[in-house]
Amino acid sequence: MALKSERIKLADGIYLNLINEDKFKSNLLSFYIIRPLSRSEVTKNTLMSLVLKRANKNYPTSMELEKKLEELYGSNLSLGINKRGERQVIRFTMEWAKSSYVGEEYDGEVIGILKDMLFNPVLEGGAFLKSHVDQERENLRKRIENKINDKGSYAIERCIESMCNNERYGIYPLGYVEDLDEIDERLLYEHYKDIIRTSPIEILYVGRVDHRIVEAIKKDLNMERDEVITIPEDVLIDSVQTKNMVIDEMDVNQGKLVIGYRAGIHHQDSLYNPLLIASDILGGGPNSKLFKNVREKESLAYYISSTIYKYKSIMLIDSGINFDDFDKTCEIINQQLEELKAGQFTEEDIAKSVKSIVTNTESIRDSIFLISEFFFSQILSQDRRTLEEVIEDFKKVSKEEIVEAANRLKIDTIYFMRNKTK
Amino acid sequence: MSYKEIYNETIDERILTTVSNNGIKIFFMPKKGYTRKYAVFSTDYGSIDNVFVPLGEKEKIEVPEGIAHFLEHKLFEEEEANIFEEFSNIGAQVNAYTNFTQTSYLFYSTDNFYEGLELLIRFVQNPYLTEENVEKEKGIIAQEIRMYEDNPNWKVYFNLLRAMYHQHPVRIDIAGTVESINAITKDILYKTYNTFYNPSNMVLFVIGDLSFYELVRVVNEAEKKFDHVSDEILRFLPEEPDRIKERIVEEKMMTSMPIFTMGFKDRDVGYKGKEMIKKDVVTNLILDMLFGESTNFYNELYEEGLIDGSFGAYFSCKESYGHSIIGGQSNEPEKVYERVLGLLKLPAEELLKEEDFIRLKKNELGNFLLGMNSIEFIANNFTDLYFSDFLITDYLELLKEIQYQDIIDRFNFHFKEDNLSLSIIRPL
Repeated sequence: MALKSERIKLADGIYLNLINEDKFKSNLLSFYIIRPLSRSEVTKNTLMSLVLKRANKNYPTSMELEKKLEELYGSNLSLGINKRGERQVIRFTMEWAKSSYVGEEYDGEVIGILKDMLFNPVLEGGAFLKSHVDQERENLRKRIENKINDKGSYAIERCIESMCNNERYGIYPLGYVEDLDEIDERLLYEHYKDIIRTSPIEILYVGRVDHRIVEAIKKDLNMERDEVITIPEDVLIDSVQTKNMVIDEMDVNQGKLVIGYRAGIHHQDSLYNPLLIASDILGGGPNSKLFKNVREKESLAYYISSTIYKYKSIMLIDSGINFDDFDKTCEIINQQLEELKAGQFTEEDIAKSVKSIVTNTESIRDSIFLISEFFFSQILSQDRRTLEEVIEDFKKVSKEEIVEAANRLKIDTIYFMRNKTK
Repeated sequence: MSYKEIYNETIDERILTTVSNNGIKIFFMPKKGYTRKYAVFSTDYGSIDNVFVPLGEKEKIEVPEGIAHFLEHKLFEEEEANIFEEFSNIGAQVNAYTNFTQTSYLFYSTDNFYEGLELLIRFVQNPYLTEENVEKEKGIIAQEIRMYEDNPNWKVYFNLLRAMYHQHPVRIDIAGTVESINAITKDILYKTYNTFYNPSNMVLFVIGDLSFYELVRVVNEAEKKFDHVSDEILRFLPEEPDRIKERIVEEKMMTSMPIFTMGFKDRDVGYKGKEMIKKDVVTNLILDMLFGESTNFYNELYEEGLIDGSFGAYFSCKESYGHSIIGGQSNEPEKVYERVLGLLKLPAEELLKEEDFIRLKKNELGNFLLGMNSIEFIANNFTDLYFSDFLITDYLELLKEIQYQDIIDRFNFHFKEDNLSLSIIRPL
């Protein structure tokens, strides 16, 4: 059965999207707040979200809130902060077991807690609680500094940062340590009021849609709003002015290689699907050119893959290798990319990649969270296609288009994390 | 075909089970309306099984560390075909993993599932090892090992296991070391394979919107004929003392701040089935009651800045070992350790309140229900529990049976200061 969403306007820039899907044992409700990715507010947005998640007016301490969530059958409250192109998206999600499985009616109560999280924070003298802001500021500081602990994702982050040094996309979505100190509870609360009044907010509900649940979500959401901000489009760059080579020397056992390419193909462009397939043939999985050549043939790596970053239309190849294999690995990667550009792959390769992308896209239907993410992503990219239409479109791509898309890829930055040379 | 059906009313799920002609145990959970279909074929064999009597022999042998994981990599090799390619031909994705006690091969697809199932059974049952392809794999696995060496969370955990255990092979890295894998040969791999990949030691779990009849037929046609279905595999574990090996271990690594884990070693081991799973659930409930986000302990230390959101605790056990792990990051890990010790000095009845117990049981019920949304969660947990002689469909009934007194008794037995090791990774 095709998944459909019903979209209802609740206030200026606030929309409720209802997706009726009854096969899960839970319901899921998410609030997505969309902001432009900007250095001046990214840190504040993250800190604000962490403070909001701590408590609310009805459950003014973390302990009371957590006890309540446990009491409500482990209702799962989560917070996600990430960048989608040159936007920062803040997501508050509640997932809870359906009342029919636990023999107790509590949908309204859980929905209320999630809404209070966003709209009824704990206040003290017209500001957020100082203690919460102080604690979360320190936690955020640590969290940003902890980037280094996961070497693989740190290397990817560093490559993007160097590559998009002069673009908004280079901004780290959790914020900056040096911006933390100036944010106090008063400033943060003023910022919060502004965010709530001016941000586009998308509410997504996936589960059993019934009248009472919809009313509980809608209740008190027709609030006063200022003019809602317009989120600027991503700036895509399809030419490379200067090629970059960045080396970080650290105490590590394995080298991390990340190579960044510009494609400059907008996600609404007809070459975007061919680009996704090109990347999949190159480094999408164990059947890809890179996996076969770098790993299976040469035993240089345990993992190697390529990924397209949708909104910004860049491609990253990342791998973990011996320090001394840097040149050899780069050479093979380059050679495989050149083969791709020259059309050295078969119709069978295309069919495999399409199937793999289709399988993954179809599997969205089996995850309540991914269904919510899919519909949100369609809204964000102003894509009106259904999941079924998205799948059908992958099947229409031709070899010529894939070659054309591959030829748009231009190398921009090579990042390498290696050991300290004495 | 004779089969058995198990139904659980609370979760409204059923499991059908039978045995293939050659002895593979098959379990199937129908999931109507799900797009993805998932199969996981597992052997009751993991990194801790490194001393055993090979099939058809009399003397026990000790094999190099990391061999179960090495074998997992090598089974993807076939003489003519490329397994990855064959799965991608039908739009399916294949993977595998090895842990302390099991090795699992899995694939999922939305279409052509039965073809994929046939492939899965065939490739796992047909090893193709040559001197050359064994050598080739060493470079790849060496990179996998290096990757883990740079992961501070992995390191702090294995350092802890080495501090808790004197002899038990749970202290060995699952993938082995770069040195130990170099000692692996084709012959040892075959010997190990023949011993542990006998159908009597394996289980297949399938989940999705499928026909049970059809999938059993596919397995019967695809499986290899075995002349010798072995009875019991003789495996040996060294004598492991009750007490921990070391109290505190430290290492320096490239990290931003200190990371710690501490572990209470379990002395109450040696059984499986319901009794073991009950111990597991009881101990995890205690950890929630002591260290969970709704506890005084958590909130006090959080507000003092001693711990952050990375702090957590869980209990993990198998027949031959068990430990409660408490970990996170902190600028003062010793202080957290002292506070844990301080907490445990309080009497059980004061620490563990019945109202918290009742609330956290509800919490666990909800967590389990949410897990039952995910076919991956079900498949992985099914196999893990199955090898401990427990069916996932009995989980909620077991949870209901747990009494407050079970909590108090277990607490008094398990959480002892002299059973506690601490492992710290500090920044360079």
